[in-house]
Amino acid sequence: MPDYFTSIGTLLDGSFLQSGALWALSTIPGFPPIIQTVHILGIAVVMGSVVILNLRILGLAVPSQNITEMTHRLMPWLWWALASNLVSGAFFLFGRPLRYFNNPIFGWKVSFLVCAMLLTLFFHLMSRREEAYWELSSKRLWSARAVALLSLMSWLMVAMAGRWIAYLEYIYYPA
Amino acid sequence: MGFLNSPKWIDVENWSLSWTIGGTWWFPFLESIHVIAAAFVVGSILMVDLRLLGFAAVKYPISTLSKELVPWTWGAFVIATVTGLGMFITRAASHVVNPAFQWKIVLLALAGLNMAYFHFRIYKNIAQWDDATATPTQLKVIGSLSLLLWSGVMLAGRWVGHII
Repeated sequence: MPDYFTSIGTLLDGSFLQSGALWALSTIPGFPPIIQTVHILGIAVVMGSVVILNLRILGLAVPSQNITEMTHRLMPWLWWALASNLVSGAFFLFGRPLRYFNNPIFGWKVSFLVCAMLLTLFFHLMSRREEAYWELSSKRLWSARAVALLSLMSWLMVAMAGRWIAYLEYIYYPA
Repeated sequence: MGFLNSPKWIDVENWSLSWTIGGTWWFPFLESIHVIAAAFVVGSILMVDLRLLGFAAVKYPISTLSKELVPWTWGAFVIATVTGLGMFITRAASHVVNPAFQWKIVLLALAGLNMAYFHFRIYKNIAQWDDATATPTQLKVIGSLSLLLWSGVMLAGRWVGHII
């Protein structure tokens, strides 16, 4: 784990952000499972927006829907879901910062997230620049498919890594 | 509900498969697939539910959305069920008496009934409102119930882990 990353954890540890998050998590009845569910509902929106869009680009799902129209319609859902997940996730990050910023699987999650967001942002910006950008030639359509495949895998890995943060010992300290 | 306290559930936990899953990386593996599949169940049905409410994807007919998305929902649901059963057998006796787990099963059944009502009762009159943006109240109720029940399944499912 790079130092700049682990030092974020050290910075947050003992701060008012930590005491605030811990207060909410331990005082409000049912808060941890409720916030975790909000987080998973955000992942459901990621599935229902960018994942289904990527499946459409790859020619696997929703053939009646138009790629450009889908992009314009679904991208706001994705960005709002990510904003929501940043907030729901922050309660846990702030609550136990050392647990996350020293956890290599959390490092993987952040890396996949950056990768997935950049690919999706690139796709989104290009389709905003020119109407039907990705559908204008077969070369562009094939580029769109390559981006979609990478993006799909990255988004799934973000969710996968997220769940494995709690199972660090299976990967790093095998019995 | 005497069967919930039956000692037979301990037998399930003692299957060699249960021991293999519970004692190895199989458990976290199944759990992560379960979460991804469950999120996909909700994510794929979400677009249909919001269409029933007249909120999203209104330029597509309800029947088209339903035909193209519901098979994905079912596929993900099958994966979630298989991975879920795999985890269930490792702690069967405690799961059946876990209130969160019991809620989850009840909410799942209600979500299933809501879906069955839509498909077997409402769907035959589809031509009347297939393209409508302002959908009839009945459809709005079904769409809202679906969203609420599936979110409830998720909440109860997540809560299972806090009680076990």
